[in-house]
Amino acid sequence: MGAGDAELVRRVMSGDTGAYGALVARYRDRLGRYAMHMLGNREDAEEALQDAFVRGYSSLARCNDPERFGAWLYGILVNRCRTAGARAARRARLFVRDEGALNGAPGPTLAERSEFEDVVRRALARLAPEYREAFLLKFVEDLEYEEMTRLTGAGVSALKMRVKRARERLQAILKEAEHV
Amino acid sequence: MFEQQEDVVERIVQYLRRPLQMDPALDGRVMQEIAGLAARRGPAAVAWRWLTRPRHVPVSPLAGLAIAAGVALLVVLPARWLGRPPASAPREFQFVLVAPRAATVSLVGDFNDWDTARTPMRALRADGTVWTVVVPLSPGRYRYAFLVNGAQWLADPAAPAARDDEFGAPSSVVTVGGL
Repeated sequence: MGAGDAELVRRVMSGDTGAYGALVARYRDRLGRYAMHMLGNREDAEEALQDAFVRGYSSLARCNDPERFGAWLYGILVNRCRTAGARAARRARLFVRDEGALNGAPGPTLAERSEFEDVVRRALARLAPEYREAFLLKFVEDLEYEEMTRLTGAGVSALKMRVKRARERLQAILKEAEHV
Repeated sequence: MFEQQEDVVERIVQYLRRPLQMDPALDGRVMQEIAGLAARRGPAAVAWRWLTRPRHVPVSPLAGLAIAAGVALLVVLPARWLGRPPASAPREFQFVLVAPRAATVSLVGDFNDWDTARTPMRALRADGTVWTVVVPLSPGRYRYAFLVNGAQWLADPAAPAARDDEFGAPSSVVTVGGL
């Protein structure tokens, strides 16, 4: 079993830059999943993720609880995704498919799976960014509302409302898709 | 195609929860960028960061209140009598923090790369209750905070709080306008 987050942070702060590599490897995929779903394409997700890791390193002295380095880094990534999302919206870029991002998707048939994936991507893309953010943090990343408050700066009741609206909106979009 | 709408949302959640694999080469790109940062900072800065890194220091509610209740003033020093500087020229800002029980106070922010060593504040009075430093700032928006005793981050109680803080510690905002 490798060193814990606090130990790795301590080593980085002592000048062992290489120890940060272990933290990057540890959190790359988990944080990457959020960035992928939030931004909808691999290129933007990797850029936001890289930026978050570098900012995390630059500001490591501000990580008050090294045991919870991952949660702290999450906060930086949420902000990076907001910035990247706003930039992407300005570019009016369409969401693109990224088959390579998936690990052996289970499903009834290839055609159905592909159609379902497509619908999910498009549905997520049609959610307002703050609804998409709240939905992903609550249901996909499985966070408590208190933790979401810390990450997003929004109040608990506002977040509950966003999650509820996101669900309703998703249901409406999927109903639409069913009739197309 | 879709069954009950609630079930479909649940199916979406299950789909989105599946692990994704990001490009492992990203690690190398991050470390390369970090190596550049570390080289710019040098071993002395790394050593100083280790010495001044935040540590948990139990503070009684009363002591915390005393520090937090410190009133900070942000004073724009008058332009030099030689005339107004050009719009892009740095202007001198005096940062002040009242922190009666502090042994050391540093000013950290976007303007010094959040380097805890670069801008130490000095005690203005012999009893060490008022800490100050003057920093030249070019027009722009800066986030900053005070680091008390090398461990406690404080936002400036006299300045607007930074809404977009992403590091989990309080910070404030100062905006320097062009002339």
